[in-house]
Amino acid sequence: MSEFPLRSDALLLLAMCPALAVSDTVVNAVGLGLTALVFGPLTAVTFGALRSRLTPQTSIAGLLLLSSGAVASVELLMRAYSPILYTNIWPFVALFSVNFALLDALMAERSTAKSTRAVLRLCAILALALLLLGIARELVGRGSILHGAGAAFGDWAQALETKVFAVDMGFLLGMLPPGAFIALALLIAALNWLKRAHSAST
Amino acid sequence: MATPTEDAHRPPHDVARSAAVLATLGAALALGLYGLWQLTHERIERNRQAWIEQPLTALLAPMKYDNDVLADVITVVSPDVLGADAPASIYRARLAGEPVAAVIRTIAPDGYRGPIELLIAVDYEGVLLGVDVLRHNETPGLGDVFENREAGWLEAFRGLSLSTPPAGRWTVRKEGGAFDAFTGATITPRAIVKAVRRALEYYRAYRDRIFEADAAGEP
Repeated sequence: MSEFPLRSDALLLLAMCPALAVSDTVVNAVGLGLTALVFGPLTAVTFGALRSRLTPQTSIAGLLLLSSGAVASVELLMRAYSPILYTNIWPFVALFSVNFALLDALMAERSTAKSTRAVLRLCAILALALLLLGIARELVGRGSILHGAGAAFGDWAQALETKVFAVDMGFLLGMLPPGAFIALALLIAALNWLKRAHSAST
Repeated sequence: MATPTEDAHRPPHDVARSAAVLATLGAALALGLYGLWQLTHERIERNRQAWIEQPLTALLAPMKYDNDVLADVITVVSPDVLGADAPASIYRARLAGEPVAAVIRTIAPDGYRGPIELLIAVDYEGVLLGVDVLRHNETPGLGDVFENREAGWLEAFRGLSLSTPPAGRWTVRKEGGAFDAFTGATITPRAIVKAVRRALEYYRAYRDRIFEADAAGEP
């Protein structure tokens, strides 16, 4: 396990794959983002606590056990409390958790506190990226933000649904898969531009 | 082995401890999941029921019936008339034992992106009470406009039957039919119209057997 073939930025890119698929609306994006934020660090902490008690050879088995347990829990909770979210994003949540298992394995060299922090940071970045992509795509594709929040998160969220502008058909490209890639590219371009502007000023 | 490996130096109790930790972890997870299942399975079952119950009762709203429609269901397989290999469910509504309406849960197999699951409600005479889409994968913004932009499109089915419009016009306008297509999407409405027509034909052909069959049996 000492040599893991993927670096963490490559892994982040891998994790973006399900993220691209579910960022068509803010509700889906937030759903996946929250799941990542809760279950990523949780499995990282648990795995960190277990790791010292396992040989390197068996720790991967422990990790798989832990991830499958976490995935099954998310499935039960989602089906019970947000069946709509379950139908919309479930396959990608399962896919996502594999990325977390990889990530935890990758962090195995570091201390528990360090790897938990790293996972938390990565999850936060991912959730933020999801949120930005979701807002951009839903706004362009539908002219709304948080459409369907009431149905997915409960009645209290109904008030959050905002129609920003009325569109007859929307700019469909935003909602369709190619829109995800374009939006991601724009996001990365914006980040690079910010970075350059920052380094130029200092 | 002659060459000592790293493993050879590891005390055997390390392996035993790993096994014990793994077993404990497995047991703890199993227990935790069982607890979680206990907490959630009733809600999950309720959600599953509500998913079909809400549209079902909405479609049957204009009718008077006194039986438990959700339980009074038969399953039929009829690839030749319904046009789908998958089994279809037929829920039956009765008043004082007399049949008043049937709701056919079937699929339109030829949607643009996979099958479209439909609920088709007909009264005893074979006149449509309404059509609802349970699940679909149609292109957002083009094929799914019956959900928002043309929300009234599905309403237009109410009151129609195999004789109104006549059989030949049970398709989209583009093909000389009586039904509007969506801007940019013809396949979806055509698939739905076709599935509804087929359900009506099935109902006309087997009406008596549909209502006579025992619940959960096949006519």
